[in-house]
Amino acid sequence: MEKNAQNSIWNKARQFLFNIWYMNESGIIIPTIIFGFLVYLVNPVFLSKINVTNILRSTGFTLISAIGMTLVLISGGIDLSVGSVLGLGGMFVGIFMVNLGIPIWLSILLTLLIGLFVGFLNGFTIIKFKIPPMIMTLGMMYMARGIVYTRTKGLPIYPMPDAFQAIEQVNLFGVPKIVFICLILSAIFHVILTSTAFGRSIYAVGGNISTAKLSGINTERVILLVYMINGMMASLTGIMMASRLGSAQPSSGTGNEMNVIAACIIGGTSTFGGRGTILGTAIGALFMSMLSNSMTLLRVDVYYQNLAIGAVLVFAVILDQYKRTMAESGARNKSHSKA
Amino acid sequence: MKPSDILSMEHVTKRFPGVTALDDVSIELKKGEILSICGENGAGKSTLMKILAGDYAHGTYDGEIYVNGVKEKITSTGYAEKIGIAMIYQEINVELDMSVAENIMLGIMPKNQFGLIDWKKAREISAETLKTLHVDIDPDMTMRNLNASMQQLVCIARALVRNPKILILDEPTSALTETETKNLFDILYQLRETDISCIYISHKLDEVFQISDRVIVMRDSHVISEFDRSEIDPNKIINDMIGRHLNALYPYMGDRIIGEEVLRIENFAIQHPYSSEKEIIKDVSLTVKKGEVVGLVGLVGSGRSELLRAVYGALPKKKGKTFINGKEVFINSPENAIANGIGFLTEDRKKDGIVGTMNVKENLTLSILDKLTGRIFLNKTEEQEKVDLYFEKINIKAPSPKTNILHLSGGNQQKVVLSKSLMTDMKLLLLDEPTRGIDIGSKSEIYRIIANLAESGLSLIMISSEYQELISMCDRFIVIGNGYIVAELSKEEASEAEFIRLASCI
Repeated sequence: MEKNAQNSIWNKARQFLFNIWYMNESGIIIPTIIFGFLVYLVNPVFLSKINVTNILRSTGFTLISAIGMTLVLISGGIDLSVGSVLGLGGMFVGIFMVNLGIPIWLSILLTLLIGLFVGFLNGFTIIKFKIPPMIMTLGMMYMARGIVYTRTKGLPIYPMPDAFQAIEQVNLFGVPKIVFICLILSAIFHVILTSTAFGRSIYAVGGNISTAKLSGINTERVILLVYMINGMMASLTGIMMASRLGSAQPSSGTGNEMNVIAACIIGGTSTFGGRGTILGTAIGALFMSMLSNSMTLLRVDVYYQNLAIGAVLVFAVILDQYKRTMAESGARNKSHSKA
Repeated sequence: MKPSDILSMEHVTKRFPGVTALDDVSIELKKGEILSICGENGAGKSTLMKILAGDYAHGTYDGEIYVNGVKEKITSTGYAEKIGIAMIYQEINVELDMSVAENIMLGIMPKNQFGLIDWKKAREISAETLKTLHVDIDPDMTMRNLNASMQQLVCIARALVRNPKILILDEPTSALTETETKNLFDILYQLRETDISCIYISHKLDEVFQISDRVIVMRDSHVISEFDRSEIDPNKIINDMIGRHLNALYPYMGDRIIGEEVLRIENFAIQHPYSSEKEIIKDVSLTVKKGEVVGLVGLVGSGRSELLRAVYGALPKKKGKTFINGKEVFINSPENAIANGIGFLTEDRKKDGIVGTMNVKENLTLSILDKLTGRIFLNKTEEQEKVDLYFEKINIKAPSPKTNILHLSGGNQQKVVLSKSLMTDMKLLLLDEPTRGIDIGSKSEIYRIIANLAESGLSLIMISSEYQELISMCDRFIVIGNGYIVAELSKEEASEAEFIRLASCI
């Protein structure tokens, strides 16, 4: 009797751990919690209100672009231009408001449209000329940055209107507004991915584009749309960055694409396409911020941070790959035993 | 093993999980002989050749191989090459961005005294080998710029430059034109003069009869019979290839009323996938009536799959008109075809039938996502209802609709892919090898589904390499060869022997 009861508790616990293990986000949820707890033990300041706010804010700046990137990665593509489009967005919103005196709301809208257009160019070229996404967006990364530098001659654009600066600099209920923006966008895109035909199509295109096409999905439209959304999200990050800094820095967003992609991958999004979730990406972005924040807090040399992020990234992918081969060999064994 | 034999394979048995591909097979090959191996798909020819070429390493099968009287353990393709066995594969496999010389000399590049590649010599050897084949190709040309038949010839040169004693050719003429085929035969005759032995595998029986010194027929993993050149009798060979089949597998196709014309295509022409100068389908027109099952007969590479794909909008056509219920429609994408009531079952589940990252449910509803969408959101209740309905109706065996599709057996995967099409509103269903690679139980279930569909008034076009299956399931047969319709047969006129005779264009 006693043994049975013990067994059932053990089984339940095992089942619970299994469920977590088989979640797409398992590669990151567990390390994030353990990591947060360990840092807190060493330095309780880590979980102080002001530090948590800092972590959330920096998470937000990665996450907005990472949401778009998640869509692109699930569809089987990649976008290296988001860092440059971030810079481009910051510059244009600055030009519209500071140089041309266009109202804030209209400037923001126009800037978002520019991001959308850059994404359109990426998607269109990838589809029509069958260029690998990596190459096209690498080209766009240089071109967009080139436009920023030639247009600004390397000088920042400032001062941004006070009302515009207030968007990011003034908190709402003591929480940075970018956190709310992220929550809303995450919710919207989570619902799009899980509960709309478009979302399902993105997974299908990334999982097997030939099957998707034969099943009657307009694969070209799906690809075009994910790059457009991603471009828009990158320009939104640029707008928020300009608001935060009160100026548009020509170099802002340089190298940002790597952080964004890393957040997605750490969050369990597959670079082979077909897999990934917004929740995973959000936790991935949070983990990246926690990592660099804690290292600053623990007075670890800033140069070690890159080392740590790189190691975590590789570890996350190894875990992902391991789970994938396990799933596939499971499938093989099963079909063998049936045959 | 006689001294005149160059090769002897003795008592070779090869098992795959659940299937015995070769069962105690023994063959000999004489010096300077052209031996053909005939058999239907799945008879075991390819497995036998893959063992010989080292694709299946020594130790994964039982039996012994003697080359030139010496017992050999062929553990890799490299080793097979070393002992003089060269294989020319059915699919052209070349390095497209390398030069002709590089392709020919790949892996055996001559070196100069500094240990670097001696390009001059490489070019010379390549040019010489190409000359023996009577082809005029510049060794410096990039492979990509050559057409498919030229590439095939370079493959043959690559095999020859390794001084093989045994040359294996697996469907070498599928990408060649008639003149080039004749040219290839001349080369083979020439090789025979120099005591090189060839094993020739082809579905095109007319070629087989023309070139072979000896023919071996295989069926169901066994060698059935053997014919010397003087004894070659096409009818006997065809009969031996077919053997006896069980008929209990197939359902009664019912007394259906075949109605009005549903599909008519006129003057379809389709580009050859491997050759820019050839059309795989030159001029084909056909009709399908309501409730009718039409069988499309043709050899592999005859363009039957391409024809179905073009009708479905998955392949572009060079010309041709499509009519549905007498009205002309313009189909240029699968999306379009589905909207016009056409469904399609692919021949290659893995490649374009399933999405491996998705579960059974998500795979099932891929084609009806639009219909399941309300104003914005997917109606998940409706989705679940549809999925449950088909789970029951089609008898998909899976632990749950949320199981990953890869965890299902081939037969059940196929049922999922078929159900995906059935969920759309169809008038016409195109089936490309609907039972390829699935177990016998699932096969008979799929036959039953097809029979029910036809009875409910759906029109079907079906392709199958298993002629018995076609004959049992179809009402009318259209035989395709050389890009045209060669013949149209009624159920009474149809027989496997007739199909093979007509499709091989003897």
